[in-house]
Amino acid sequence: MLILGIDTSCDDTSAALLDVEGPAVNVVSNVISSQFEIHKKYGGIVPELASRRHLEMIWPVVREALGGTGIEGLSAIAVCKGPGLIGSLLVGASFGKSVCFSKGIPLVGVNHLEGHILSAFLEGAGPGFPFLSLIVSGGHTSLYMVEGFRKKFRELGRSRDDAAGEAYDKVAKLLGLGYPGGPKIDALSREGDPKSIRFPRAYLPGTYDFSFSGLKTAVVNFLRDHPGPADERNRDVAASFQAAVIDVLVRKCEWAIRETGVRRLSVSGGVASNSALKERMRGMAEKRGVELFIPSPVFCTDNAAMIAFAGYHHLLASETEGPDLNPRAYLPL
Amino acid sequence: MEAGRRLGQLLKPGDTVYLFGELGSGKTVFVKGIASALGIPEREITSASFTIVAEHLGQSGISLYHADLYRLENLEQAEAIGIEEYIGSDGIAVIEWADRLPPGYAEGIRVEIRRARVAGREGREIIIEGLDEKDWHNS
Repeated sequence: MLILGIDTSCDDTSAALLDVEGPAVNVVSNVISSQFEIHKKYGGIVPELASRRHLEMIWPVVREALGGTGIEGLSAIAVCKGPGLIGSLLVGASFGKSVCFSKGIPLVGVNHLEGHILSAFLEGAGPGFPFLSLIVSGGHTSLYMVEGFRKKFRELGRSRDDAAGEAYDKVAKLLGLGYPGGPKIDALSREGDPKSIRFPRAYLPGTYDFSFSGLKTAVVNFLRDHPGPADERNRDVAASFQAAVIDVLVRKCEWAIRETGVRRLSVSGGVASNSALKERMRGMAEKRGVELFIPSPVFCTDNAAMIAFAGYHHLLASETEGPDLNPRAYLPL
Repeated sequence: MEAGRRLGQLLKPGDTVYLFGELGSGKTVFVKGIASALGIPEREITSASFTIVAEHLGQSGISLYHADLYRLENLEQAEAIGIEEYIGSDGIAVIEWADRLPPGYAEGIRVEIRRARVAGREGREIIIEGLDEKDWHNS
């Protein structure tokens, strides 16, 4: 069964062709057109530029994803319906709606977070149920208990303020490192001492919620109180900031594993490609005897293959959408 | 948070609150306060920097439009995301990083939050303009 997935939730235009037969999942193509160069000079994503670029790229990206496959050969098209930037979401959703309507193909709407959770199944059998799923990206930091392929996602906690990736971007901007902040801080951290500055860690005991806003404020305060030669200071700030973020992410997963007794964990979303986070998660998983799933970077970041896979499960359950599908910027799972 | 809740109780549909204050001053926490006055769970309000605008439905059917212009550079970009659709709409709009709007644009209720040391402790100074003072004291 061939499913075309489309994701235009933020700044990347992505389309993927998925071939699913029973438990066998084959990602035939997963095309991602990055808008990185366009947004880099603005230090962040500019929504209007993103929508316009999606409009330009949607056909070429879909065509490349389809390869030789005709649209008539598809069993369904799955589009991301939110959360994300509303102008960007509209491009992908409208495209999917019109193609499905004109060709008489079922349309499926997928929550972006559902996609990230299920990205653990794109490169092999994936975890058994139930498993814990941590999503860490520029827009989200949430921990779920996952008991099935659809509708069985129980949110254990989420960020009360900034997402982890957002804190990375904001701190990178404070340090004059540019955008996107994650890889830049990750790289600079290797030269700094993670123990040199004791930044706060918001563990929020008794909950699985996260908070990175106070950490961001602590970095602002530190930079204000320590003016002067920036090079060495910034290396230590980057390393100490990153250590604080990772400590919290790893520790909270550890708590959830201990308290729920579930020994399978997946970590996905753009920040899951962070080298230090992966290393620490692996160490923790080994120590606790936990099966850990971290998708390859191409499936960690926003991608359409995960949308297609989640869409496949909606299709199996006959959950399809009509031309009135309306994407939403804020859409809790 | 408490100051936000008090302000939230005084807001009517069509009102717009413009929030000013640097990174880490507590703007999102203030919005949580406004939301709680409208019956929106505090934890539903998170940073809106990513999606720019988030819409929440309050208990009495009033929408709260929570906008965050942190990533925008200028008014053209704010117009491009349709910010004026939320100002003076049927709901209540709260706009963080209102200094991204040009002078004269932010007419209405203005809230400035500054970090300040109060009695040796880290605190916040909150200045609210554009409200009738007696409403505030009677609330």
